[in-house]
Amino acid sequence: MNERDTAVWWAKVRSGGPQREPAGSRSPDGMRRLVESDAQSVWLLAHLPTGAGPHVLAEYGQEPMTLSDLSGTLRVLAACLRCCWADPAADPWPGRLAGLEQVDTVLAALTPGRDRISRRRLLTAGLRRLETSRWVLPTPGHVRLGPRVSAWTAMDLSTLREMWRMLPSSDHPTSDHLQEQA
Amino acid sequence: MNSERNVVFDTVLAPLTDRQRENVEAAYALLEHSREPVHRQELPALQDPTSRERLEQLLRRTGRTLVAVDDVRFTSGYDDTVTAELTADGWQPLTPVERAVLVLVLVYSVAIPRSEEQLGADAWTSGFVTTETDVLKDGKVPAGVGKAALSRLVSCGLLARRRDRAGGEGGYVPGPQLLRLTPAARSRLQDQLILAAAPSHPLAAAIRERRNRTSRENIR
Repeated sequence: MNERDTAVWWAKVRSGGPQREPAGSRSPDGMRRLVESDAQSVWLLAHLPTGAGPHVLAEYGQEPMTLSDLSGTLRVLAACLRCCWADPAADPWPGRLAGLEQVDTVLAALTPGRDRISRRRLLTAGLRRLETSRWVLPTPGHVRLGPRVSAWTAMDLSTLREMWRMLPSSDHPTSDHLQEQA
Repeated sequence: MNSERNVVFDTVLAPLTDRQRENVEAAYALLEHSREPVHRQELPALQDPTSRERLEQLLRRTGRTLVAVDDVRFTSGYDDTVTAELTADGWQPLTPVERAVLVLVLVYSVAIPRSEEQLGADAWTSGFVTTETDVLKDGKVPAGVGKAALSRLVSCGLLARRRDRAGGEGGYVPGPQLLRLTPAARSRLQDQLILAAAPSHPLAAAIRERRNRTSRENIR
């Protein structure tokens, strides 16, 4: 692949998030390939050296372009991570498929006071926002983690493992959630 | 998980000293990932001609270019030639509704104040708020998809939400990503806004004529 095509691919991934391509396709320079579990396709992601990644911003006191949690989007991501990251000792990608009911059970504990309908609305909108950057890959009734989670560094993962352990499991719903189901 | 080398960075930055490489990588990170433009004091790579040349090459190799927002602040944007190639191939990450909502906000927050000379000719940030009513009711965008589009445009920085301190409706203004537009991209967007907001205005006729002339010359 020449320099021109490589530049176009980087712009595609920057504007449209990680891109899914057939397994036999060539990789643009500087991109990571994440093989899908069916081995039929790969995700292409920009791979930046640590010194050029978003973590550098903290040293300069600059605000990064982060997803805001104004509408609870990060809680939705946390609930997905708790359900789809089967073994926190391993990498989160590719993780496992989780039912939206499972995710909703964890989300109930993270958003106390919200009723089932309002929570379902938050889940739908949150998944849509997270899907844009490929943090998650929703399918009807289910969700799994998206290729973007593979960009987390060892330090990020250490923090996320701690968070994972603090979050309730979908096997142990909160009393609010049990009352709703009753 | 992030231990592999990046061949683009390694190739472009190979001639630099460790110190220069560190500065160029930091400048790349700041330009690419900061929410707002960065002051040149934070970008020592811009002061050293060799480092600056390598930084610009690095941006170009990754489809980007250096954008000067004003005399002292910088950011990065899409390389115009890459944009042209992607759009010619039909690449479009935004849905038609998201584009329609973005245009409506630009009309209310930029085009109208600019036509009243309340906003500079090349300004793309604005304090003039577009309300949800402007978009959903007067803009005739269906409420469900319109709200989803507003939310997505805010999350990717193309719009910013403004709360009304007086308890009013609040609304939306163009987001910091608009500052990443290159001069050529700003000029194209300005033309498109005129064509969208005032298609029968003489200015719109002049833009159509100029475009027809350019495409005729390109065919020759």
